[in-house]
Amino acid sequence: MSGKLNRREFLKALGVSGAAGATLAGCDLPSTITLEEGKEEVVSYFMPEEYVVPGVGVWYASTCTQCTAGCGIHGRVREGRILKVEGNPDAPVNAGKTCQMGQAGVQGHYNPDRITSPMMRDGGGLVAISWDKAEAMLTEKLAGASGDRIAWVTGTVSGHQRVMIENFMEATGAKHHYVHEVVNNRVWESVCQDMLGDANARLRIDKADVVLSLGADFMGASSSPVLYARQYAEFRRGKRGTLIQVEGKMTMTGGSADLWVPIRPGTEGALALGLANYLLRKGDVDGSVVSAELRKRIDEFTVERAAEITGVSGDRIQRIGKVLRDRRPSLVIPGAAVQGQEFGYQATAAIMALNILLGNVGKTIEPGFDVPLKQLQAKTGGTGDLVRFAENVKNKQLDVVLFYGANPVYTAPIALGFRDFLGSVPFKVALSTFPDETVMQADLVLPVASAMEDWGTHMAVNSGEQPVLGVQQPLMEKLYADTRGFGDILLGMLKQKKPDTYGQYADFYAYLSNALVAMKDSSVSVQTTPKAFWEEALQNGQVGVKAPVKKFAVKTFDVQIPDHQADAEFPLALMPTARMGLFDGRHANLPWLQESPDQIAKVVWDSWAELHPITAAKYGIKEGDLIRIESANGAITTTAYLFKGMHQEAIAVPLGQGHSDYGRYARGRGVNPLTLLDARVDAKTGELAMYATRVKIVRTDETKDIVRLGASDVQMGRGFVRTVSVDTLRRTEGA
Amino acid sequence: MEIAVNQYRVDYQRRGEIVRRLALAIMFVVAASLPVVGWSAAADPIPPVGTYDGIDVEQPIEFPHNVHVDVNKINCMYCHTYARRSKVAGIPPTSKCMGCHKIIATDKPRIQKLTEYWQKKQSPPWKKVHDLPDFVHFTHERHLKRFVFDRDYPVEDVKDICAFCHGQIKDMTVAHKVKPLNMGWCKSCHEANGGPGDCWKCHK
Repeated sequence: MSGKLNRREFLKALGVSGAAGATLAGCDLPSTITLEEGKEEVVSYFMPEEYVVPGVGVWYASTCTQCTAGCGIHGRVREGRILKVEGNPDAPVNAGKTCQMGQAGVQGHYNPDRITSPMMRDGGGLVAISWDKAEAMLTEKLAGASGDRIAWVTGTVSGHQRVMIENFMEATGAKHHYVHEVVNNRVWESVCQDMLGDANARLRIDKADVVLSLGADFMGASSSPVLYARQYAEFRRGKRGTLIQVEGKMTMTGGSADLWVPIRPGTEGALALGLANYLLRKGDVDGSVVSAELRKRIDEFTVERAAEITGVSGDRIQRIGKVLRDRRPSLVIPGAAVQGQEFGYQATAAIMALNILLGNVGKTIEPGFDVPLKQLQAKTGGTGDLVRFAENVKNKQLDVVLFYGANPVYTAPIALGFRDFLGSVPFKVALSTFPDETVMQADLVLPVASAMEDWGTHMAVNSGEQPVLGVQQPLMEKLYADTRGFGDILLGMLKQKKPDTYGQYADFYAYLSNALVAMKDSSVSVQTTPKAFWEEALQNGQVGVKAPVKKFAVKTFDVQIPDHQADAEFPLALMPTARMGLFDGRHANLPWLQESPDQIAKVVWDSWAELHPITAAKYGIKEGDLIRIESANGAITTTAYLFKGMHQEAIAVPLGQGHSDYGRYARGRGVNPLTLLDARVDAKTGELAMYATRVKIVRTDETKDIVRLGASDVQMGRGFVRTVSVDTLRRTEGA
Repeated sequence: MEIAVNQYRVDYQRRGEIVRRLALAIMFVVAASLPVVGWSAAADPIPPVGTYDGIDVEQPIEFPHNVHVDVNKINCMYCHTYARRSKVAGIPPTSKCMGCHKIIATDKPRIQKLTEYWQKKQSPPWKKVHDLPDFVHFTHERHLKRFVFDRDYPVEDVKDICAFCHGQIKDMTVAHKVKPLNMGWCKSCHEANGGPGDCWKCHK
């Protein structure tokens, strides 16, 4: 072939060249290209607002609802459409930053699978009905049920949504409110309450010189990823703090650590006691700050014993101990694997005790704020409420259940027996924007406007240095006329029950503006008129709340950490890890987040199981083999991904996939490890022991290509990141 | 696996500094040898060459550009007021039409149709004639700055600048696409007038 064949001739040779241009199969112009004249309408403003210039965006302040952190956002609105979200620089939680989940909020709003009208169950399926009929049905069912048989199941709620739910409960006599979040800090909160006297103690990573994170993925799937990522940036700036991460599976935060140590998952509490023992034995910390029983427990818990339980060598424990001794203040943070054990409370308490011994309490763990408006504070969720809810469903204790912001049909482990019994609840109402698994089981579905169309207020659990009430305001008109704001739906029901109290409010906007203005005296605003105060709140996207800092009352007690016991039948610990992006599965319907690679495995649009290469070799598993992961409760099959950032006795399967519903982007993709979990709970708090389930694995004969960004984990000798061996470092740097 | 230490940092910094200085020196030499082209205020524009014969687009009202521009000498930017401020020139708000037509030419059928829209509180659903794909970022504001304001070009004659891309609108009733508005055509004008040649200037 002559070398002179150019592109045009090549296309001609293929017989695809036309007079004006070539059209290759599969290379058709996408339908978004609208060059045709006279096809698209261009409608002018009827009478424009003065500041509106078509083509130039206007930014409105609001509050992000993609997770429960409560970040302030600015939404760019152009020609009446929300196009982009950025962080609100004045918001104390995120100071102008957002995470990828926040950025993807607009995709929830424009999602093609949104629920567009009320629906009721008719025969097998859901059929569209009118709001009048939906409201009449709900009123009738609520009137027919006694209060102790009506329940709400929600995610973490705060601000005026919480107030509305509680008003509703009061008006209908409903007795139960289950608050369920898979990614939660409930065990830590109870430990903070019991040992420090304040459940809302605030972490200050930025004030620490060294952070020992025991599996806490604080920058990834945590209760406030942007806040902690900001604190981390501050921690690394200037004095450059040192991050030591000890965990069973390398998380995004672990990937940034100076020292990463694998540990047998769930034994981090033993490590904390071993470290405390080391520090006390050397006389480096004052043992009198803890109770005598705890002191005795620590004295018994030698480094050798900790090494045996955790699988971390005694030498390594002592080295970590030395760093904690020499560099103060430090901060020891427990992650989900610590809290998610049957002795999770005890292990977390051991970690808090280490913080107390190191003098971190008051320095890198600060008291929360004493917010005067208790009813606006966040009602934080956990998995304990899921267990209690499932129990009540099983025992047929509930007649009417209302779901909002929680998807227990997806998140409940099979072992809770919840799925089988939900059908026995006579009337299930789902208030939702998307057709998730719980919606598909409901008898009545009320379509909630998207977060970018709705009014609300949110109070962050940890809002950094200034408590604020974040104001959520619509960033555009409703896309679907038949959807309603959450507050409007509840106000509608309250108006029927208590017309004297609520009849005066035309809509939730009227209610909210009244309610917000009423709290002016509790705010830091200097505005004098209600109108100016309300406008300032909308403009800033938040109201600063006057609140003094609480005081800690430190109390310690004995903790019990069990010895390690190998399980012959189920040799591996299952780590159902949440990750920044799909989170607990709530973002699986957002293509941007499906497309964003996992921060560690770099896999997109799918599930996988992370295994240490040595563990894999034991079973003859190669990367890409489909493996069957079996627990006592069930099995899932997914692709093996071999990764050295795993403990050899653990297997990690990320949360988020395995949806049977939830729209076109989520459905039928990957597996949901939550289904495998045992129904065991933390003895003290009743929270689900999410990391206590043990599994075995079986190789199948099938393989599957893992679709991931970047094909290799090694540098192929190219030296992008220079490394030295630990021995050389110790010799040359004396570390 | 456990530890990565950048003990070669100092060496890298030194090497990086050398590379940076070299690059800077090369840039200076290259820049000095280039002729001065581009966005100088004095350069008179060379209009783009090429024509296109678009389809006749039926509009809700047969808006007579000719009457407004040619007969009544109304400046394009009086109605398309956003052109100098935004990426889009904008269709004037219906309230602006009615600003004149509450009084002027109220007996004409087109104005009566407009008044009907006005009374229904609706804007006429105009059809877009000059359209670009979503992956092209074109801004009226920047082009007007270059061809009108930076040159102190008389604003009353702006229609001749608009005509570069829109043709002689003064001779039309409703707009008719007479220029190709494709990339080669844009590029020829950018080359002739020293406009930016970076891909990302338009494809961003």
